[in-house]
Amino acid sequence: MELTDAALIARVLVDEDQHAYGELVRRHQSSVRGLLRQLTRGDIALADDLAQDAFVRAYKNIRSFRGEAKFSTWLYRITYNCFREDARKRKELVGINEEQWQAQQDPQTVDPGLRHDLMHALSLLPLHERSAVLLCCQNGLSHDEAARVLDIPLGTVKTNVLRGREKLKKTLSAWVER
Amino acid sequence: MNEQIEQDWLDRKLQEAAPYIEDEGFTAGVLRQLPQPVRRGEFLRSFILVGMSALASALTYVLSDGGRFILVEMFKLTAIPTLWVVAFALASGMLVMAGGIFAATSKTSQIES
Repeated sequence: MELTDAALIARVLVDEDQHAYGELVRRHQSSVRGLLRQLTRGDIALADDLAQDAFVRAYKNIRSFRGEAKFSTWLYRITYNCFREDARKRKELVGINEEQWQAQQDPQTVDPGLRHDLMHALSLLPLHERSAVLLCCQNGLSHDEAARVLDIPLGTVKTNVLRGREKLKKTLSAWVER
Repeated sequence: MNEQIEQDWLDRKLQEAAPYIEDEGFTAGVLRQLPQPVRRGEFLRSFILVGMSALASALTYVLSDGGRFILVEMFKLTAIPTLWVVAFALASGMLVMAGGIFAATSKTSQIES
């Protein structure tokens, strides 16, 4: 029988069982790495480095996990903090560089295929809207959970998701109408 | 296409655009970076065992009038016939040997499995 996340966390807390933590990493690595790949606009090496940092940081701070939220929500928050800290260091957080990057993007250079168009449309969104859309629409978090992960008010999350969705729909209008 | 259908379509496509990422050594890499667990429990266990043993010894010494019963029992032992002493030594030796053989075989089967 497969153990629940809560049971694995209990083993980590009581016995410092690193095999149990390994199982938690195996379960969540895909979603965490996927989220980071989107946030870093497809920089796989950077995304995987940040994902490793996030999992190591989660292990060191696992005693602060009180079980009020899902483990995945708590993990996403650590993941997002890792990304934000790294982005600050690289001066890539929302601001001049983000705007410059968006200005460099030419919508005419989009590769054929919906997936490519979707990824491109996502990468054109400002970071705050991209993060909210990825968490809520792609990873299935509720607005409330996304607000905890992003550490912003619930209303702001709803606005960001709404605006992000609208922009995506507009960019992908040709596909939506089919 | 109404608003809700468009929204569902977009969410579905977003989910489909995020395929499962194979582990490919990622978990092993994370586990290598984890700090070694601190064996607080083991230290506490040995501390408790030594403490309880010391306490039990002290209590025995006090309650037995300074260990006088040991002297008494030793005097009694000197009165035991020699044959009994030889039989006791033989039985003890065989018991220890049986214990050793059992431990060795169980350890071997453990390693083999």
